[in-house]
Order: sequence, then structure tokens, then C-alpha cells
Amino acid sequence: MSEEKFQVIIIGAGVAGSAAAYTLAKAGREVLVVDKGRAPGAKNMTGGRLYTYALKELMPEEWAEAPLEREVTREIMMMMTPADSVAVDSTFGSVNQQSYTVLRARLDAWLAEKAEEAGAMMVPGSTVDGLIIRDGKVAGIKTGDEELEADLVISAEGANATVAERAGLIRPVELKDVAIGVKHVIKLSEEIINERFNTVSGKGAAVMCVGECSKGVSGGAFLYTNKDSISLGLVVDSQSWKNSRLPLADIAEELKRHPALARYIEGGDLVEYSAHLIPEGGFKSLPQLYADGFLLAGDAAGFVVNRGFTVRGMDYAMLSGIAAAETANEAIEAGVYSRSILKSYESRLQQRVLKDLALFRNSHDYITRTRHVYKTYPRLAADLMRNIYNVDGSPAKLVSGLVKKTISGRVPYFDVLKDMFKGGRSL
Amino acid sequence: MKYLSMDDRLAKNRFDSDDHNSHIIVDKTACNTCKHRGCTYCCPAERYKWDTMSDKLIFDHVGCLECGNCRLICERLKQGVEGYAWNYPVQGRGIIFREG
Repeated sequence: MSEEKFQVIIIGAGVAGSAAAYTLAKAGREVLVVDKGRAPGAKNMTGGRLYTYALKELMPEEWAEAPLEREVTREIMMMMTPADSVAVDSTFGSVNQQSYTVLRARLDAWLAEKAEEAGAMMVPGSTVDGLIIRDGKVAGIKTGDEELEADLVISAEGANATVAERAGLIRPVELKDVAIGVKHVIKLSEEIINERFNTVSGKGAAVMCVGECSKGVSGGAFLYTNKDSISLGLVVDSQSWKNSRLPLADIAEELKRHPALARYIEGGDLVEYSAHLIPEGGFKSLPQLYADGFLLAGDAAGFVVNRGFTVRGMDYAMLSGIAAAETANEAIEAGVYSRSILKSYESRLQQRVLKDLALFRNSHDYITRTRHVYKTYPRLAADLMRNIYNVDGSPAKLVSGLVKKTISGRVPYFDVLKDMFKGGRSL
Repeated sequence: MKYLSMDDRLAKNRFDSDDHNSHIIVDKTACNTCKHRGCTYCCPAERYKWDTMSDKLIFDHVGCLECGNCRLICERLKQGVEGYAWNYPVQGRGIIFREG
């Protein structure tokens, strides 16, 4: 290392930070990663599922050794009322290694190790207090009593991007653009999980729930099978929850008792209770992605798309980490670190990450404003199915009659059509 | 699974807490003028409670999961007005996720 100056300093050893570090180290750059956690991953949390294409792109050879939990081969979409539930249960024998459940303490530790093996320097236990800014250009970081200089700083600091915010490089994130996730990790044996989900070791299920789990507030519950544990949690729109005045911690705990979910976790032991913010604002809330001597990646940049049935963030984080590293390489080769050269970061992101975010620019509004989705529709679905299966000796009705009976007086038909139409164009 | 109290839930986690220096600062007296008290029901770790006896906010940073929800729920924390500050714990202290 040249004395006391790095080519690149990366803030945060999450998937974005480590992806950037790995790519830069492979290119022979002098790169330092600082992380506020005791070890990489110690402050990080996901629901969670990783769409693996991004990991394969980052490390085509090594990815298969990554500590992934189970390949998701079964997808369950569930609507729930206090007592009932209706689910669409899909099994995909034809899909191969597309997504895996993950636990971040393991995944991030492994990714950081790979970056380190490639030559990056990892310094966990370092909370960044501020940036060194010289003549309007980011020139390094301040942590504890130390000042560390770099030609370029990549902030992959996560959803609470206080470093970038306080340096005035991005506008502060707004309550309306975040969701809060709360998760229970529940230990169960591998065999029990295999039996309960009708699966084999190495393969598993993802469940997304809407309705009673969030008490009608914008949001939903998730359940993911890990190797020998289950991740069960709740994600709700922070602004809507504040308006609801409901006790979040109690509702998160109640989730474990809903009959549709309780059967999966019965007999398990809680091993961790965690919470994290998710930047769900999407395209309309994207911050400025670069400044002189500075790039922004991952959650800090708000690269998340929530469409209800799929939630993506970690794959975009990895892609943005790779793109940030490639941009840094270009800047290092040119010996120029100004906005004029770093703006190529945006074009690198355009084809993949930003294109998706732009396409789903209305998903966040749809998800937070379409209130029937969280209360009325789950109830209608459960009632309709109950009516269809009901045989009690009273005069029978045709399906069309049952649909009419179920919907009548509960919600205007026009609202249903409107929500369907808008949903189709937003999600 | 049986219902777990917040203490029971947090007891499963690993923390390296700095008992004396809080990473979140709130002015409990000034909090009396808050209209919504969103922190008391939006914190997933129930670190903020309204004590009805003294009619005052009680806040305990030990056990904080560092999600940052309160930083945005509370306008004063968000703006960092006098008597209010939100930071991550320094140098690896605080929550240590072992699962994540």
C-alpha cells in the first residue's frame, strides 16, 4: 500500500460493499472496506432471499461455495383473515437455481472473506463519523480518531445512509419511502423442515402473505425456509404504520400464532429477533448517485423493488457494487475522480438496475395506497373459497351466484376492476 | 409457539452494549410536547415507552436493534434538533446479528 492513502475506501461490508471490494481487488486496486459491525454481516439483515444471477455474475466460479441456505423451488402466495387463509401454491421443477434463501451474518462474512482473499483490506468495528471533503471533493473518511484518505469513496453504508446525508451529498431519506422489517429466526431441525414443506434438503419454500398479518396496513408477512431454521417476519410501510397507531412489536409477535403460519414453526425455538429498514421508495426517491470522488451503491442508493410477490434488493446491491467498482477502475486509469467521469456509473446501472426501477416506478404508490389489498380482498378471497366448498344442505348456488353473494355490498365492482387494472400496470 | 415478551425476545440476541453512552439521544422533557408519540408504538424493540405515572417518556438504548425507524418516525430525531441525535453505536458496539 502506498503510504496512508488508498485508491478506494468502501463504507459497509454488505453485499454491495463486498461486491465492489471483490471486483476492485481482483483488478489489483488498493481497497479498504470499513464496516460498523463487529464483523462483516453483524449489522445486516434480510428477509430473505437472494436472486442468484448477480452472485454468479460477481464470481462465476466461487459462487457455488457460498453459504446459501435452500434453493427456493416452491412459492406460496397467501391471503389471510384472522381465522382463514387462501393460498396459491406453485412448485417449479423447471426452475433451476434461480434464488436461494440466505442469512446475512453467514453470507456477508463469506463475501467479505472472498474480497479479502482477493486482496481487499477489511476493517470491521469502524463506524464512519464523517467524510473528508477537500475543495468540494470527497477525499476520505473519518472514523474514531483516524482520518483515512482515498482517491474515491464508495458508500455502501445501507438504508440509513447517515454519512452521505450529513455530508450533504444526498437528500435525507423520507419516512414515506421506507418500510420496516421485523424478523424471527426460528430453529427447527432440517428433517422437520423437509417434512413440513414437503421438500428435500437443499430445497425449500418462500411464503408471501397479505391481509391479517399486517392488520390491514400496507405491508405483509414473509416466511423463508433456511437449512435448519425458518425466517418469519413482517414488513410494513413505515408511514402507514405510524398512521395506524398499532403496536408494531406486538403485531410482529402475533404473526407466530396465525393458524396458517403457526403450523410451520410449531416446536421451534427463537434464536434471533431482528429489525431493519428497507428503502422501498423506488425510482421516484432515487438520490444523486455520484459526486466528486464519491459513488453510492446498494440500499444507500435505494436500489430496491417491491412488487408484493417478489422483493428484490440484494441482487441490485451486488450489480451496483460491480458497477461502482468498474466505474472506479475507469476513474483510476484516467487519474480523474470528478463527476464528469463518475457519471458513467449511471449508464452502467441503466441497462439493469435503473431500467427495472423505472419500469416499477409506480409499484410503491400502488402498494401503499391500494388499501383493499390488505383487508377487503383477503376477506373476499377467503369467503368466496369457503362458499365454494360449503355443503350444508341449503339450496346450492352457481359459482357466478357465489361470487355475487361474496362481493355484493363489500366493495364496488368498479374498485376491483380499477385495482386490477392499476396493479397490472404497476407491479 | 408461545408468546414471548420483548425481554425474552431480545435475550436471544447478542449485544455488546455501551451501557453508559447512548447512540440515540432524546430530550425526554421536550418529548412531552410531541403530538403523536410514534416512537412508543413503531419501535420493533419497544425501547420507547410512555410512563403514565410520571407522564414522561422512558427510553433505553440497550436492546436497540439499530433499524433506524425512530430516526424517521420522530421529526426531531430526523432533523437532529437540539437535544436529539441518532447515530450508530461506535466501533462495533451494539447489536451483533448472528443470523441476520
